[in-house]
Amino acid sequence: MAQPPPPSRTASVGPPNVGGMGAPPASTPGGPGQNSQQNLNQIVLEYLNKKGYNRTEAMLRKESLNVDPNGIPVIGKVADSGGKKWSPSFRLVKNWIEHGLDIYKAELVRLEWPVFVYAFLECVCECFYDEAQAFFNEYKGDFEEERGQELQQLARISLPEHVQENKLAKTYREHQYAVALSSMANATLVEFLEARERDGGSVISTILQNHIKIVPMNRATTARGLQKLMEEKEVENKRGVMWQGEGIPGHYPGSANTDPNASSALSKLALAAMPMDPDLMEDVRADLGQEDSLHPPAPGQNSLVDQFEQNIKQEPQDDAAPNRDAIPFPPSTARDVAMEVQKVRENRDRFRIEGRTGGVGPGLSVTMFTFHNTFDSVNCIEFSGDHTLAAIGTAESYIRVWSLDNRALASPHDPPGFQASSSRRLIGHSGPVYGLSFSPSAAVPEPATNGYTTGASSPDSQPRYMLSCSADSTIRLWSLDTWTNLVVYRSHNSPVWDVRFSPQGHYFVSCSADRTARLWSTPQIAPLRLFVGHDSDVETIAWHPNGAYIFTGSGVGDKTLRVWSVTRGEQVRIFTGHTGNITAVACAPNGHVVASADDKGEIMLWDLRTGQRTKTLKGHGRGGIWSLDWSVESSVLVSGGADKTVRVWDVQPNKETQAKANGESGGGAKIDGSSVGGGGGGAVSKTGGKTKGPVVSPDQISCFQTKKSPVYKVRFTQMNLVMAGGAYLELA
Amino acid sequence: MSVWNPENVTDVAESIGIASLNREVVEHLSRDVEYRISEVLTEALKFMRHAKRTTLTTQDVSQALRLLDVEPLYGYESTRPLRFGEASIGPGQPLFYVEDEEVDFEKLINAPLPKVPREISFTAHWLAVEGVQPSIPQNPISTQSNAELATRGPGANSTLAALSGNDSQGVKPPVKHVLSKELQLYFDRVAPAIMDETNEDYRTAAFASLKTDTGIHQLVPYFVQFVANKVTHNLKSIFILLQSMQLVAALLDNPSLYMAPYVPSIVPSVLTCLIGKNLGSSTDAPDTHFALRDFSASLLSATARRYGPTSSTLKPRIARSCLSNLLETNKPLGTHYGAVLGLTFIAGAAGVRSLIVPNLKAYDAHLQRVVQDDSKKKQAEFVVQAIMRALEVLEQDAVPGMQNGHPEGEALKERLVEAIGEVLGTRVFESGRQSLANAVLEKDLAV
Repeated sequence: MAQPPPPSRTASVGPPNVGGMGAPPASTPGGPGQNSQQNLNQIVLEYLNKKGYNRTEAMLRKESLNVDPNGIPVIGKVADSGGKKWSPSFRLVKNWIEHGLDIYKAELVRLEWPVFVYAFLECVCECFYDEAQAFFNEYKGDFEEERGQELQQLARISLPEHVQENKLAKTYREHQYAVALSSMANATLVEFLEARERDGGSVISTILQNHIKIVPMNRATTARGLQKLMEEKEVENKRGVMWQGEGIPGHYPGSANTDPNASSALSKLALAAMPMDPDLMEDVRADLGQEDSLHPPAPGQNSLVDQFEQNIKQEPQDDAAPNRDAIPFPPSTARDVAMEVQKVRENRDRFRIEGRTGGVGPGLSVTMFTFHNTFDSVNCIEFSGDHTLAAIGTAESYIRVWSLDNRALASPHDPPGFQASSSRRLIGHSGPVYGLSFSPSAAVPEPATNGYTTGASSPDSQPRYMLSCSADSTIRLWSLDTWTNLVVYRSHNSPVWDVRFSPQGHYFVSCSADRTARLWSTPQIAPLRLFVGHDSDVETIAWHPNGAYIFTGSGVGDKTLRVWSVTRGEQVRIFTGHTGNITAVACAPNGHVVASADDKGEIMLWDLRTGQRTKTLKGHGRGGIWSLDWSVESSVLVSGGADKTVRVWDVQPNKETQAKANGESGGGAKIDGSSVGGGGGGAVSKTGGKTKGPVVSPDQISCFQTKKSPVYKVRFTQMNLVMAGGAYLELA
Repeated sequence: MSVWNPENVTDVAESIGIASLNREVVEHLSRDVEYRISEVLTEALKFMRHAKRTTLTTQDVSQALRLLDVEPLYGYESTRPLRFGEASIGPGQPLFYVEDEEVDFEKLINAPLPKVPREISFTAHWLAVEGVQPSIPQNPISTQSNAELATRGPGANSTLAALSGNDSQGVKPPVKHVLSKELQLYFDRVAPAIMDETNEDYRTAAFASLKTDTGIHQLVPYFVQFVANKVTHNLKSIFILLQSMQLVAALLDNPSLYMAPYVPSIVPSVLTCLIGKNLGSSTDAPDTHFALRDFSASLLSATARRYGPTSSTLKPRIARSCLSNLLETNKPLGTHYGAVLGLTFIAGAAGVRSLIVPNLKAYDAHLQRVVQDDSKKKQAEFVVQAIMRALEVLEQDAVPGMQNGHPEGEALKERLVEAIGEVLGTRVFESGRQSLANAVLEKDLAV
């Protein structure tokens, strides 16, 4: 019986020996002659015509043309060549894109990766193992730079079972990959694929239909002229420009709404500082007044009360503040008042970094704390808010705390006569400790006598609690008065990667390999909120300074930075663009910009209000940027990482610099080096292209190398001094 | 084609009794094995990354296995990177294996315990000061490669880069500590006034100014340098030494100066005045230098008290140099006097107990010899007084109510002599203070 050959695109999980043969023969070869074959067709066609099956008839007519005189189907279409169909089809599209018009190239080139992935996975699912491998190896080189880690994960997939099981493959198969195309580019693509249907166009069309969501993009809104595209092409190394919404979640830039029909308007965020409790505010003001009368401000200095008023007032009016009642806190204590007072004082007396003065970045002071004899067993370093304590979490499951001023860390539980030393071990976890966080504190100095401050802070300002998280999937709360474990929080069911106290204390968040982040309050042993949505491990976590939002960064397969509302427990922003695992996140004190860093050595700045990326800072070597922090004025970002450097970045969204840099590289081929520092943006793409070292973006203010010590933690104090912590590695 | 050798699968199958395995099954399985292994590796790498390491350890692998719900492999736990041996099973086919050391049980049991590994500790240093990396041993030596790290761009600070030695031009701008005319003048007047032996009014005026002036912070390093200079070159002149010490005292007294960074450079000068070998010339009265030593000792104790908490090594360093001087019997008595004073002031009762008392017996022998010598007898008396004072510190520190069980009379004297030697033992006994004797003996028992 003559049957149209079944479309061979979807998973026909058959034995491998079908490879090469394509569809089963349309009729038994060598059976009835040509005549009977034609007769049969005639009969069927008439039957279809009579019944009114017009489309089936047309299909049969069309497909019966492919049968050679002997009734054996001719394999003319690439789509019918089984496992071998992918490679020529992909090559066809790839060549077309690469030799096509430049104006479309930047957009279309973004299609290559998803098409490659889906083609490979299809191929494996259809059990063409060797073809899949050959296909993968043939084209993987193109994506090595941007998608190295994903390639590694995909490379090992060789059986259909693996596709069902591999997390990355599952993510791709279960979701559609979103790519933005302008309507013109889309039209030319469709046209091309239809025209070359027989050469493999249909194969690609199938992939596009089934797995790729093409989001129409308005060329005008992206404001991308041809010249701009040409420039970017040069800079972006021929891989085109990644649309911010590109990827698996498939969302509008910044917006967390993944519903395809959602409007592209962003929800408004309450980014202003949390209003102070009125009682607390009264107390603080009274205390500051007292302080002012005791120590009148030096000439040219604000009085503390003035400074306080200024701090409260300075919020711009266009930002809403989160509702105080939505996030309940325990009533404030005398300690809170003392801390607020100290914050105001430090804020007044700080080393000011108001931005570039005379076009030059500020000079920062960095104190480096180097840990010795660690044998690489230190997993994390943390400094307390009052700079009196430093803690490390080790691979040997314990935590060690030192007092930085050599003070003995005594506990009321010490046996009489026990000589407390300046360090303590906290033992309790049963797996490597990956994250530590001190409860908020500020260094309230001992009342000054005779004009001297002893430098020691009064005991009641010290942090009283510390949180730790570990591979044993627990979080523990430690008392720093008795140096004992108070609470064990169990709920995560995979290693917990990071834990952070809220800037106001009381609440904390944790993130884990179980792909969730959770919100807790210290007195309760069950989480208050689960933040679910990441497609991969949640690697790092950070708070918004007003305590109403949290930021989570994820690893391979997702690589998104997401913003969650603490009160509603849902996503409010998604940021995509990182090419490696996100290793650190930090939000600026002004609450408008968030910085995230990945292990490819890039730092990205995102504007929370518009949901757009504002800057990409390059310069760190590969291997992870372990920590980020902002100056008090939110004008300078500091980062430290595995490349053994501490770097200082200019983060101001400077339009004129950007324009200047672009103008230089676009305007002329020669760069005369007349700009400050002898280079400018253009030099980066020209000279940095061939040299071994990483490209340093012009926003770097300074870079300080340490001596064989990867930097695990950087921290700005309230007075704009940078503290850095690292472990000295002799072998490295 | 899988990278994993299918023969391996066949071997394992045979080992569990499956003799004949279809070739396709073998290939399928070997592909799967490869996939599982790389899955474990991906997870293990995750653990490595979170431990902020660059080497994968066996612990990471067992953590990964645990995460994948597989029983971890026991027996390979090691926090150190494993050492791999290489063997060749054919041309271009290296085989890697973990080097297992063969340990003789007998030897292992009898061997002395291995050294305790060093404790984790930390040090702090300035990685950068106002954007400039200071060239101190804790920071890496600036090399050619630094030039690549330097920034070029509108945000970059070329001056900072130049100061750090990172600028590509390699020109270092001269950095000078600029001192205002007024300050220079001030220094030029004050320094000679202090050293003026003839006019006391000048001196007192200068000291008064140093003690109260709020604007002389920039001059502090110059004064410190001045003192160090004077002390090194004028050991013969008690007057200059004393004036130098008073200059230091005045600076420390000034509430508007932040002296902590200069303490390490002040201490050597003060120590010299405390335990110097020959202070003063032969024309001076032989006892004048004791006054200088007394003054230095009190200065030192004040310094240690104030800055000890900020510099953890300050007190031990002073105590160590005092003790070593005390133990050298060939040093003059003046040095010993200073050393005893220093130890008493710096280390307090605990120091006297653990550092002076145990050494008194040995020192007493030396004292006895000196006491015979008439020319030194008077000086020896000073030392004995100093030691007595040190012992009195003990007395004050003694725990009351512990006096029971000590002999009296001759027996007590004998015990004392046995504990701290002839000269001192007699002295303590003669003082007739039971509590003092007790304090001394108590320590003896405690030790």
